[in-house]
Amino acid sequence: MTSQVIEGGAPSRGRAFLASFIKNILPAVPLLLIVGFFFLFPIARLIYVSFLSNDNTFTIDNFKTAVQEPYRTGFLNSIKIGVFSAAIAAFPGAIAAYFIETRGNSKLRRTIAVMSGVLANTGGVPLAFMFYAALGMQGYLTKFLKYLGWDLYAGTFSLGSFIGLLVVYLYFQLPLMVIVFSPAIVSLRREWSEAARNLGASQFNYWIRIGIPLLFPSFIASFLLLFASGFSAYATANALTVGNLPLTPLQIGGLLDGNVSAAQLNLGKALGVVMIVISACAVIPYLAIQRRSAKWQKR
Amino acid sequence: MAKTLRVRFQPPLVLTLLILGFFVFIPMISAFEYSIRTPLTGGYGWTHYIWAIREDDFFHYILRSMWLAGVTVTITLFVLVPTLTWLHLSRSEVRGLIDGLSLLPLVIPVVAFAVGAQISFPEFVQNTVLELPFLYFVLALPYAYRSLDIGLNSIPLKTITEAARSAGANWWRTITAVIVPVIRGSVMATIALTFALSLGEYTLTVLLHWDTFPTWVTFVAQDNILGAIAISMMSLIIPFLILTVITLFVPERSMQGRK
Repeated sequence: MTSQVIEGGAPSRGRAFLASFIKNILPAVPLLLIVGFFFLFPIARLIYVSFLSNDNTFTIDNFKTAVQEPYRTGFLNSIKIGVFSAAIAAFPGAIAAYFIETRGNSKLRRTIAVMSGVLANTGGVPLAFMFYAALGMQGYLTKFLKYLGWDLYAGTFSLGSFIGLLVVYLYFQLPLMVIVFSPAIVSLRREWSEAARNLGASQFNYWIRIGIPLLFPSFIASFLLLFASGFSAYATANALTVGNLPLTPLQIGGLLDGNVSAAQLNLGKALGVVMIVISACAVIPYLAIQRRSAKWQKR
Repeated sequence: MAKTLRVRFQPPLVLTLLILGFFVFIPMISAFEYSIRTPLTGGYGWTHYIWAIREDDFFHYILRSMWLAGVTVTITLFVLVPTLTWLHLSRSEVRGLIDGLSLLPLVIPVVAFAVGAQISFPEFVQNTVLELPFLYFVLALPYAYRSLDIGLNSIPLKTITEAARSAGANWWRTITAVIVPVIRGSVMATIALTFALSLGEYTLTVLLHWDTFPTWVTFVAQDNILGAIAISMMSLIIPFLILTVITLFVPERSMQGRK
């Protein structure tokens, strides 16, 4: 009924449409254009091309190859390194975020925020150098551990191996955890712990009944984001491994550079699409949980 | 209570910082020690840093990375601040859509995005290095958008805008002279974040075959490893300094003292 009234009152349909367009959409056009052309279009094209055979006919063969060896191992390794690096970083990162946010003063918190921002973005060759210097064959920590009686290189350890890469990934995963988990801690209100204590709850009771249930969703969300970050990391793996450890991002990079040739020209695109699907399985729940927690986190 | 908390010695906090500090600084200091070694004389010195700075490519690439980062920041602010201000004021139906779109880059792994970018753009886009700032803009969008969104949420935007408008300011002036200064905390955070991300971006840049400061380090490493370590240390310290200056010198709550 209301729509009828509006239609009747408008001078003419065309002009009304124009007016509503200017009012409702026009200011968003620059953003929509940039995001559309530089983001949505490449992704749409990637998905489209991943279904094309070498003669540009529709096929799903690219995906069939993408889930076979050696790409299957690549995916398994990438998922494994994502899960492990997230699992190892999540708990210490959460504890660190808790102490920094609740016990630190404002200057310390801001310094940590800046440092975490920089460290979470380190990767590639600089990060590889730092770990070669510390944990390489001649690294300081290696020598120190040897002095203590633990020879790192006695077994099969190397920085380019799965375990080695895992240790290096923690260097950006831990700060990332501090960054993404801190907002949840900041929004735990002191009133709640005081109220619980006034009602006779012990510290332990408060954590079991209130603190942990409140923080748990954010913890899982942070874990998912860390997984996505470890799963899709390219630069560091590229700098540390020499083709000995199959990881999907590296395989895609190799196909893209033409270092590795495949019978199917569009195989790399199919691998990319599978990566997007896996990453979406982690990031979309992350975003959904964030949205829900944002309701009570508003201050 | 708050005061005593601040002064009291905090063993758990100190322990946390110590453990984190060891983990962060041992690799960093080890690499730094390598970078100041002088193999010829056997002592220590700034040889490799001086070598790096004397390389012609050093300033070429660092300037290139800086101006690309500058362009990215400009695009981010020019596009996002007006759009977000309008979204907050107008209750447009597209707000939900744009909120969702702004988060979408988090879902897409950068490697996959690079493949898509490589096969999509017309030649005139692929041939100019100016495609990079737009792609960096997309990568930074989730963070930049959220940071500005929080800033605009925390101020009485409607009242401020109406006051500015009724005092005779046009939209441009309202945004630059009133809204941006009021939310300067989140504007600064956005600048810092976008700048740092663009300065350090490696994956997309290298897969699209562009050369910037981070990819140049890889190239140097092939024949002067200690020089490359020195450059790596600088590439870590420069964004850190820029970020520290930006964040520590801006008051925490931009509204403080005015209320």
